[in-house]
Amino acid sequence: MASEIEVGSKYIPEMSKKEIEELGSSIKAASIKVIEENIERMKKTWPNRPEAMEYFDEISNFFGRREKEIREQKEAGKKLIGYSCMFAPIELILAAGAIPVRVGSGWYDAAKLGDRIMPVEVCPVIRSTVGAKMVNLSPYLELSDAIIIPLTCDGRTKLSEILSDFKTIWYMSPPRVKDDPQSLTLWKEEMQVIKGKIEELTGNKITRKNLRSSIEVMQKATKAFRRLQDLRKGSPVITGRDAMLVNQTSLWDDIKRWTQKTDELCDELEKRLEQKNWACPPDTPRVMVTGTPMLWPDSWKVPNLIEESNPQGVLVVDEQCSGDRILYDPVGVDEWTMSDMFDAVSERYLMASTCPCFTSEHGNEDRVNWLMNRIKEYKVDGVIYYVVRGCILYAMEYARIKRILDRMGLPVYYLDTEYTREDVGQMKTRIEAFLEMLEARIDI
Amino acid sequence: MLTAGIDMGTQRVKVVILKDNQILSRNQNFSGFEPTKAAEQAFEEALQNAKLSREDIQHVTATGAGVEMAPFSDSTVSMMGADARAGAYFFSSARTVIDVGAEEARAVRFDEKGIMLDFVVNARCAAGAGTFIEAMARALEVELDDMGSLSLKAERASPINASCVIFAESDVVSLIHREEPKPEIARAIFDAMAERVSSMVYRLGINQDITLVGGVAKDVGFIASLKRRLGMEILIPEEPLFAGAVGAALIAAKRAGRRQ
Repeated sequence: MASEIEVGSKYIPEMSKKEIEELGSSIKAASIKVIEENIERMKKTWPNRPEAMEYFDEISNFFGRREKEIREQKEAGKKLIGYSCMFAPIELILAAGAIPVRVGSGWYDAAKLGDRIMPVEVCPVIRSTVGAKMVNLSPYLELSDAIIIPLTCDGRTKLSEILSDFKTIWYMSPPRVKDDPQSLTLWKEEMQVIKGKIEELTGNKITRKNLRSSIEVMQKATKAFRRLQDLRKGSPVITGRDAMLVNQTSLWDDIKRWTQKTDELCDELEKRLEQKNWACPPDTPRVMVTGTPMLWPDSWKVPNLIEESNPQGVLVVDEQCSGDRILYDPVGVDEWTMSDMFDAVSERYLMASTCPCFTSEHGNEDRVNWLMNRIKEYKVDGVIYYVVRGCILYAMEYARIKRILDRMGLPVYYLDTEYTREDVGQMKTRIEAFLEMLEARIDI
Repeated sequence: MLTAGIDMGTQRVKVVILKDNQILSRNQNFSGFEPTKAAEQAFEEALQNAKLSREDIQHVTATGAGVEMAPFSDSTVSMMGADARAGAYFFSSARTVIDVGAEEARAVRFDEKGIMLDFVVNARCAAGAGTFIEAMARALEVELDDMGSLSLKAERASPINASCVIFAESDVVSLIHREEPKPEIARAIFDAMAERVSSMVYRLGINQDITLVGGVAKDVGFIASLKRRLGMEILIPEEPLFAGAVGAALIAAKRAGRRQ
């Protein structure tokens, strides 16, 4: 009997228009500054940064070229479909002629607004996303015609409920045990429902032809993405933060253009590889990060510290849904029939995921395997296990991962932080000690 | 070879001068509002005591929370790296060092050469560090130095909320109002700290001996509580306050040697 209970919004308190505007514009101004600062810092670490990075710098501004493009395309009748997690089927969105964009906030200041509704124990990614909504901060969230929220963690589950006052929310429930015989069947049903909703919203049918072409577009994107990650396996031709920025802009950029620009960057990096033109000394300790997504721009805090530390570290690979997991897995199609393509898309989003929301009697094996393989392939010297307060799934899986890495003889450090700039000093001390330790091991 | 270590702590700055890895001179000073000056002064005095001048020192390594405010240094090292080196230097059987300072507690696991292998830091909350004892001594109206011996008189510990200094302080006040004996409150405070510190050690895993250093390593109350929690003996060097500076000076010696 919702109608009898509801008076106004379910969670978000009334705020005056003036307060919304003032807070929104001050956080936006601060955010633009953080974006510029991050880029400056990346340039400082890597003075010889390739020209091809300029494109990604431009796209990294949420309030610039890309926002304008999306507004124009919307005016021309296109629909924008937001999503909060990497379980949303991008190929289906593209096939129906809509624009996919990930919404999820990396704004520290917005998390403080979320504190008005939720206790600080709640994951700051969620508090910040709600805070961003409170002051209409995120252009992508605001412009979304619908938002797909896969119910992966508790935070996202309730986030969907909070945002449903403002936006059309499409829920997806990924099964928590991947290998159960019914899991894929259930997941395909979820996909069918989402497919129907996308078609209804856009007024476009997903056909054999447009689905094939969108799968091919994404396969090309994956190819460029993998090409970039492969370049990080040897001596560093790109800093970790630059690669992260390229990876993350794929979440909101026009994917065809992004693919082309990433290929251009890779052309340049391959030349540098031949010339042995390194982004930092080849003996720099090679660091992997895993855990909570590090969202642009404020969550560059830890990557900045790692690559600016003394001794310096270089991020060569990550296991995060904000990084190397985004486009790594292609949709594998055998026959270009509608049902085969649809099944392939469904499988890609469930089976390839290493999200800690999965469980089984063997533990989250796919994540463990991903980590172990990457550690070997990228010759990782040490792992930083990054967790923000309230990120329960990653926090709980640490003990398991730590045991495995201990057995491999690989140092791992549990770095717990918050959406705040106040702990930079503490973070710096710990990261420096960890890198010093890695350096001492390399020395031996 | 003469080398020096400077430990820029949050409460005190410590200086150690080594000659061929033997401690020649040590000195300390309150960090105060001008830690750079305080360190410079401490360093000059340490030199005078050893009848040396600045030029005699081949390599100076700085460490500590305020390492950026060190007056001068040839290199720096993390606090954990310095602790590890000092731990192995003081006791060859030790493989874990616990450092409890004014505002931070940490535990470091290291190998036989004193190279750090793993570490855990508790800096989120002051309830695991020295300032906690200070705040509680104030609440109990006893001298800081008497807290330890007072706690040893207790037969049991009072129940307090030790998740946070502020909560603990209000708990202590209400315990005083209930006329709970002071020794039992004091013991509760040390038990709570030891609980936090020992959980860090357990996270690293215990193998071989443990050494305790840092300003709090002189507190008999804390030592007793920590021994009880860990169920084992703890090795404490003669001057635990200087461990960070000793570690830094040892690393300075290694770095100076490498350069030659």
